[in-house]
Amino acid sequence: MNKSNARLGWLFASPYLIYSLIFFLFPLLWATYLAFTNWNLIAPDYEFVGIQNFIQAFFTDTVRAAFFVTYKFLAMFVPIVVAGALFLAVLIHSLPKFKGLFSVAFFLPYLASGVASAIVVNGILSYNSPFNIWLRGTFGLDIDWLGSAILAPLIIALMMAWKFAGYYALLFVAGLESIPKEIYEASAIDGAVGWKRFWHITLPMLYPSFYTVTILAVGLMFGIFTEPYVLTGGGPDLATHTWQLEIYSQAFERLNAGFGTAIAVINSVVTFGSILVFRKILEKWGAKHGWE
Amino acid sequence: MPNMVGNKPLKTTLLYILAFSVLIVMVSPYLFMVLGSLSPWDEVDRRIIPTELTLRSYEWLFFGGEGVLARPWLRALFNSLFVTLSSTVLMMATAILVGYSLAKLKFRGNRLINNVILFQMFYPAVILLIPLFLIIRYLGLYDTYWAMILPKAVNLWAIFMYTNFFRSLPDELLEAAKMDGASQLKIVWKVVLPMSKSITTIIFLFLFMERWVELLWDMLVVNSENMLTLNVLLAQMFGPYGGYPGPMYAASVLLTMPILVLFIIFSKNFKNGMQFVLK
Repeated sequence: MNKSNARLGWLFASPYLIYSLIFFLFPLLWATYLAFTNWNLIAPDYEFVGIQNFIQAFFTDTVRAAFFVTYKFLAMFVPIVVAGALFLAVLIHSLPKFKGLFSVAFFLPYLASGVASAIVVNGILSYNSPFNIWLRGTFGLDIDWLGSAILAPLIIALMMAWKFAGYYALLFVAGLESIPKEIYEASAIDGAVGWKRFWHITLPMLYPSFYTVTILAVGLMFGIFTEPYVLTGGGPDLATHTWQLEIYSQAFERLNAGFGTAIAVINSVVTFGSILVFRKILEKWGAKHGWE
Repeated sequence: MPNMVGNKPLKTTLLYILAFSVLIVMVSPYLFMVLGSLSPWDEVDRRIIPTELTLRSYEWLFFGGEGVLARPWLRALFNSLFVTLSSTVLMMATAILVGYSLAKLKFRGNRLINNVILFQMFYPAVILLIPLFLIIRYLGLYDTYWAMILPKAVNLWAIFMYTNFFRSLPDELLEAAKMDGASQLKIVWKVVLPMSKSITTIIFLFLFMERWVELLWDMLVVNSENMLTLNVLLAQMFGPYGGYPGPMYAASVLLTMPILVLFIIFSKNFKNGMQFVLK
């Protein structure tokens, strides 16, 4: 009985095992090796170059751009999406009826392909669009949206916030629903109502949702590819040149497979490190409000 | 919010007006896309509401225009559907089997596999991108459907979700089915799956959505025009044909509609199902 269970267990798990061997373990080892070579994706010969790729990455403009651009995206995207998601969640939560309907409706942007939304944004911001004509006519503002090193990343951050706010809002809704009513009742006696209650009671109680949403949002910023690839191509002047764009262009446009892999390794280390720092900051804030 | 007591109906009305306005803002890019695809060409991106509706952009897309050959948009739509469906069905099937074996078939190595899966989930996939591409090339799968399906035939998140969910199912039920002489495979199909409807819907939707909008991988491993997914074809055409915004919107509609329809069909139990996924 137990023996057949064991055999069946391995049998059922075998698709995963075979997959992991071919598409995880093997490429993992290969990547570790490639990162220390100067292979160019085509030539039969290449050399082992030690840590040269990693040193070179440090002095490469595009790699440095990717490093800083990601934090620029973080600074723009995380506050916008957290505030937006929280707003949507409070809105959904305070509706007496049709909560499910509005949850679904606010989630719809998540379905958009980055390619399609880039095309729409490009149209809205095109020179003769009603929006730009209105800006020129009313305020005399003539703005080159995608040509500005500050506005271009902001627009991409806004696109991504539009896409993810409704999704993250569901996490906040779950958090809001889990706050016990007694806490509100007790705090009402102490005179905490309205904004005061929201600020001092609700927000700290939402800490677990804040934690999850922030970590998800931070992690997302290290993997942006589609939106800048279609909308800006990384420009202007590398202002939207993300890690993924850099890895893609090094490995598949300039054919530096070894160097590209090394950059991917650096990207992973930076991502891990940054998420760790954000976790520590969040945990500190949580501890202040009694969360372990 | 404060001091609104005694004004409840007014407050509720205002809330719904606000919620509805936000809803309009959230879906407006979709409306913009649809209107843009139906606008006369001299009004695309110039007027929000077109003066008349026309199918010219869709005609151009499928039959081409002066000096411009039609691209295989319908073929690309088929490719997208075929690749996404095959890949999603495989991810679902493997996740159910692996999840069931990890949750209910207690065998040696069970916990080890569980831990390895957790490790893999947090391992940055980007490192694997280049070697994965090379493996596909060496296996001779470059420019085939297999290249887009096989590396995305197993999904760790789905396995993780199913494992956790199956653990919450009572063992007695499965034992009873076993007493009746049902094989494990039959138990999965006849007993376990019917009890997992809402989570299955949600996992399917998420896998499908994610696979549908994949760009980088599908762009890397496929080259000939007849093999491209709709997402890749649109991304590639947008550069040279950015001057034809109407047809670009039409193609965007083609890309967006299937997934919107699918989602709305399955959205009935969306909020309940999400509650498990978000835990």
